[in-house]
Amino acid sequence: MTRRRAVHEPGYVLHTYPYKETSLIVELFTRQHGRVGLLAKGARRPRSALRGVLLAFHPLHLSWSGSAELGTLVAADWAGGQPALSGIGVMCGFYLNELLLRLLPREDPHERLFAVYAASLAQLAAASDRAAVLRCFEHRLLDELGYAPLLVRDAASGAPVDPGRRYEYDPERGPLAANGSAGAVDGQTLLDIARDEYSRETTREEARQLLRALIACRLGSQVLHTRAVLAELQDL
Amino acid sequence: MARAPLPNAPGLDSLIEALRVLPGVGPRSAQRMAYHLLQHERSRAAQLARALAGALASVRHCSRCNNFTEAELCTLCRSSGRNPALLCVVETPADLSMVEQTLSYAGLYFVLMGRLSPLDGIGPRDIGLDHLLARATDGIVTEVVLATNFTNEGEATAHYIAEMLKARGVTASRIARGVPLGGELEFVDIGTISQAMLDRRGL
Repeated sequence: MTRRRAVHEPGYVLHTYPYKETSLIVELFTRQHGRVGLLAKGARRPRSALRGVLLAFHPLHLSWSGSAELGTLVAADWAGGQPALSGIGVMCGFYLNELLLRLLPREDPHERLFAVYAASLAQLAAASDRAAVLRCFEHRLLDELGYAPLLVRDAASGAPVDPGRRYEYDPERGPLAANGSAGAVDGQTLLDIARDEYSRETTREEARQLLRALIACRLGSQVLHTRAVLAELQDL
Repeated sequence: MARAPLPNAPGLDSLIEALRVLPGVGPRSAQRMAYHLLQHERSRAAQLARALAGALASVRHCSRCNNFTEAELCTLCRSSGRNPALLCVVETPADLSMVEQTLSYAGLYFVLMGRLSPLDGIGPRDIGLDHLLARATDGIVTEVVLATNFTNEGEATAHYIAEMLKARGVTASRIARGVPLGGELEFVDIGTISQAMLDRRGL
């Protein structure tokens, strides 16, 4: 059994679950340890100092100890410097958190993804182009998980993707040139995704569909609740 | 700790299993409770069973505010002294009773019995948003006060309710947040002060 300990590690709360009367199980995304589950004892007591701190989307500094599957949170400090998410931004944040919870294994460090996540939250808080923030994050996430989509070459011929052509996209292989106007995406869309450029309207729509399909392949049978809730809200 | 089922007492096993639905009760506590009830408190255990069955049969949701009541309408909704143009949305009955204790709110309520929590799979229908929208657009309500919690889930809930009400021409407001009454900055948590700075208002 390995002993794990961390002091003042930068991280974010992804989600919390009530545990027993007054405690919480906290799912965290930390810089050097990746996704970590910790027990926060007494965090639900009315006067707990952790109450205003263990909130998602805020940069924190975390210290923990423990040898078992679930370590114990020792301290969580507000690192600050970022305005809270509001409105639709909160829902976008839930979506990012759900992706991380479902796709990142525990104790698997992803320092680059951590930086992308932190930057994405800051952009969501600043209410910049939220759709573009989500697409960039989805792309980086696939990349970090080892499933970087092939975007610049035709998977069959190896020829560079032609921005003027239409392509089918095979999730396991990559883009395959389609005949005429058939196919799922413009070559331009693939090239735009490759350089995080989402100003073109067609790119936005096609990239959303394509990245959703690629993420669905990684999720397998798991359903993304955030999407289902958003769809339900649309209906009302 | 796993306990082997007793061969001759399936009733005991199902009681232990049933007690585990209570918050904070795991297998060990459930076993202790079940033994206690059966060994020492048999008459009061019967009383507990009757009370539980009685409450299940008679307590239901108020058809206007969704709070627990035994009648079609709860006492608050029936009261003539309340201002029907104001509707305050809270997450739980406990929140409602806190707002009531302030004696500074004279309108009516709507209790969501939860909050939007996408990561737990709790969506708008689980908290009766369709019901709330119908209630808030009855033509009498002119302002909806959103008093959901200041957690991310509470904020998301308030945001979506406000958007839906705006689209239907009903004014929505959000309770204020910041440094607590009598709070000295020195002892207030940093997150609260940081929000209070962002939410500052002109004088």
